[in-house]
Amino acid sequence: MRKAMVLFAGLFASSVLAASPPAEGEKEDVPAYILHHVADSPEIEIEIPGSYEHIAIHLPQILIPLKEGACAPQMTDHGETHPGLLAGCLDLSITKHTVMMFLAALLLVGSLLIWSNRDKSKLVPRGVGANLFEMLVVFVRDELAVKNIGKEEAPRYTPYLLTVFFFILFMNMLGLFPWMATATGNVAVTAALALCTFVLTQIAGIRAAGLGGYLAHLTGGVHWLLWPIMIPVEILGLFTKPFALTMRLFANMLAGHIVIFFLLGLIFMMGSAAVGIVAVPFAMGIYFLELFVAFVQAYVFTLLSALFIGMSVAMGHHHDHGHAEEHGHKEGGASHDHGKAHFVGS
Amino acid sequence: MAEEPRGPEKKEQQGSELGTPARHMQEAMPYISAVWKMVGGAVVGVLGGLLMDRWLGTKPWGLVGLSVVGISVGFYGFLHEMARLGKKK
Repeated sequence: MRKAMVLFAGLFASSVLAASPPAEGEKEDVPAYILHHVADSPEIEIEIPGSYEHIAIHLPQILIPLKEGACAPQMTDHGETHPGLLAGCLDLSITKHTVMMFLAALLLVGSLLIWSNRDKSKLVPRGVGANLFEMLVVFVRDELAVKNIGKEEAPRYTPYLLTVFFFILFMNMLGLFPWMATATGNVAVTAALALCTFVLTQIAGIRAAGLGGYLAHLTGGVHWLLWPIMIPVEILGLFTKPFALTMRLFANMLAGHIVIFFLLGLIFMMGSAAVGIVAVPFAMGIYFLELFVAFVQAYVFTLLSALFIGMSVAMGHHHDHGHAEEHGHKEGGASHDHGKAHFVGS
Repeated sequence: MAEEPRGPEKKEQQGSELGTPARHMQEAMPYISAVWKMVGGAVVGVLGGLLMDRWLGTKPWGLVGLSVVGISVGFYGFLHEMARLGKKK
């Protein structure tokens, strides 16, 4: 019998670790420090300003063996590790980026509860927060959803677009605070977000063209003898856009943080505080740019999601025009020229 | 009172409400689709050939054969799509 075993190791146990300062003349390993700080980890480190000490909050480790004993710890050169999913061990551990996602979600729900206009008798929102949120919501609805999906179908997809926009925005912004991390600088997070858009895009396509029309588009409109090549081509094409969404958000958010760290790291690499006269203002400039990028990346992800959904919806539009004859729909189904024009990769 | 457009007319009207980037993207999609068929055919052929060689031990004939088939099908798909678009115009 498969027995689910959940291991909680060091549940939110915190300890103060005393890190020794670098020895005289010893150079800091700046690249390793930067990679350590931008990467995901099973603990949250809170550095105490003005000292070499930091508080480490150990996060719960959750391992679910899919096979008996699959999650048994192994000793390697890097210490104790656990086998991966291929070996039958499902790792659902809470990590630094997971905590940031939870935090972003909590802040988002909290701020929306506070600033949403819940008094239906007063239609005009009052206060900076309520007006700011309304402005952003109306912008996403009118400029992104309606202009890319169309007035009729836009209300159906606007809630998703709003969720994605605010969630990415909050995750991006969280990374700009001290002791926090950018969850969108993790490829797994951006891949999961892109997967949501991908699923919704396919649903929009199926809704618009029907299951038959959707499947027919996957044949590429060529003779059935060519389907063994063309169907994999079309299926591969479906994944190009979510892949682009994943990599673009991940790379943009990660790169900004690495640049800030490297500019500050120059002080330690050069071993002179005088470098800080140039490095710190530059890092500040990039930091403010990152503030702008946080909004831009949330906007671009939402815009592209709306665009892809709109293209899938347009597939139904294409079918509605009764182009069956034009596209070679012949009786008997020998030819399947559906003119998949509006759907590849969406 | 003017009658509400229905069916394809309504959809047509909806299309005109789209923003410029969305309209341009939708207009460009058939061409992107055609190019993807050509590129994707080659990719699928080469990958399929490599897998076939690994599983069946036919190196290098699986790669050579399926690459040629993939490139040909991709090229045919591209021409087919372009011909359809030409006819439509």
